[in-house]
Amino acid sequence: MKHVNKHKSKLFKLSTVKSLHKWLSLLVFIQLFIWLGTGLFFNLMDHNKARGNHNKQAIVIQKIDNQRLLSANSIITSSSKPVSDVVLVQRLGQPYYLLAHDKGLYSHFKSNYSLVDAYSGIALVIDKSIASKLAQASYKGTGDISGVVKLEPPIADMLKEKNTVWQVNFLDDLETSVYVDASSGRLVGHSNEDKRFVDFFFMLHFMDYPFLGEGSVGGFNNGQITFFALLTLIFCLTGFIWVIELLRKGRYKFS
Amino acid sequence: MSLHRTSRKYHKWLMLFVGLQLLTWSITGTYMVLLDIDYIHGDTLVAKKQQVLAPDQVKYSFKELLVAYPEATQIELGFMLNQAVYRFNVDKKKVLISALDGQQLSPINEQLAISIAQDTYDNKKVTIAKVQLLQNDAPNELSRRHLPVWRIDFDDFASPSFYISANSGQLVTKRHTYWRLFDWMFSFHVMDYIDGEADNKLLLLFTVLAFIASLFGLVLTYYRLAPHSRNPKNLASKNKQDRAKHKRTNTETANETR
Repeated sequence: MKHVNKHKSKLFKLSTVKSLHKWLSLLVFIQLFIWLGTGLFFNLMDHNKARGNHNKQAIVIQKIDNQRLLSANSIITSSSKPVSDVVLVQRLGQPYYLLAHDKGLYSHFKSNYSLVDAYSGIALVIDKSIASKLAQASYKGTGDISGVVKLEPPIADMLKEKNTVWQVNFLDDLETSVYVDASSGRLVGHSNEDKRFVDFFFMLHFMDYPFLGEGSVGGFNNGQITFFALLTLIFCLTGFIWVIELLRKGRYKFS
Repeated sequence: MSLHRTSRKYHKWLMLFVGLQLLTWSITGTYMVLLDIDYIHGDTLVAKKQQVLAPDQVKYSFKELLVAYPEATQIELGFMLNQAVYRFNVDKKKVLISALDGQQLSPINEQLAISIAQDTYDNKKVTIAKVQLLQNDAPNELSRRHLPVWRIDFDDFASPSFYISANSGQLVTKRHTYWRLFDWMFSFHVMDYIDGEADNKLLLLFTVLAFIASLFGLVLTYYRLAPHSRNPKNLASKNKQDRAKHKRTNTETANETR
């Protein structure tokens, strides 16, 4: 009688904890093994390879002729769109003014730029051939360009990128792709088979599946992972209580 | 020993060692997936402001700038508050000058840093709790390359701090309680309590052990939940039910006879 009372005064019944643990195990075990397996992969993987920069090289900065630089004043005046800032940049060894018309908080956020030749004032539009040259300048591999495509986000290789990009593909062993921002000519980044392999594991770890909800977004704030995280939390908590209970009852004995 | 009993034994013992870490993984993981990453990064604290450069704000040219500072790289013409300014690097150090007359404005003083912080902060009604100039030592949450920097703490929900570079007069990074907590969560998630890297041996050991422990657990799920005719527990309960049924029938018969 005394024993029953003691159980009733508790917050939860041990039998409920145990049965929750058993049934939850059935719901979460597949994702739990995916989490542990991919976690193990992140622990052991080659972090340098994962960056996808095997064939990337720094772009060489050329000396410019200061005397030939147009004044920023005239550039702002002749721009058809409002300008919030002007940066003196180099594209293919030549100086250009990069005019920001609409600038996101970070470079991968949605932005709108235009480029103007800093000597002549002529606008530079990043077309297929310029995008190819810009990509080539950042590439130190030996492959030739196999194709150039303009892509709108979401971009499978660069899920966080929110701007239109040129994808320049190289014929090499790693299937390198170079991404160039279509309005600013900024090098967005390199990707290759190694990075895509790692990205696949991230997709699994974050449950960032392309066929669910908003599709892959390159992050972990989605409905399915929230659901499974909460179930797993209860699962681990019930298991933990079970262990404590076994300890309390002296069931851990060397024999 | 049967597979069932072996699994129960190893699941029990291994979980004694890795159970706490599994609980930690699920708590820290749940925290990270529940809080929106853009909120965590403090992006919602930053005012959305797009200023437009007028030609009469820019009297000093890129050409003049490069004559005065021949080593200047990454030259940008933009705004500090409502004033047009140039920012550039000289030996990896930022320099800030006026776009009207080329006068050097950096490093900025406390009053200017406060104004910039308030101007960049989304909530204009907020008051400032504390201002500090960090010159030689950066806290953990700030990269040393941003020094010297003004740290402005706001008296607002989740104690936000804005770090304004003393040399560029720009917001370099921001923090608030939930981001600070997130960094802790991540450290505990990857079991690196110093610099939060996922390639450490402790994590490897725990992941492998947790994997094995979970495999034994899966065997238990099979034995406990799959319908087995030979499962002794099921048999026992069935017997109990049978006995109960038998008892009931007996009493019923007894009642009838009465």
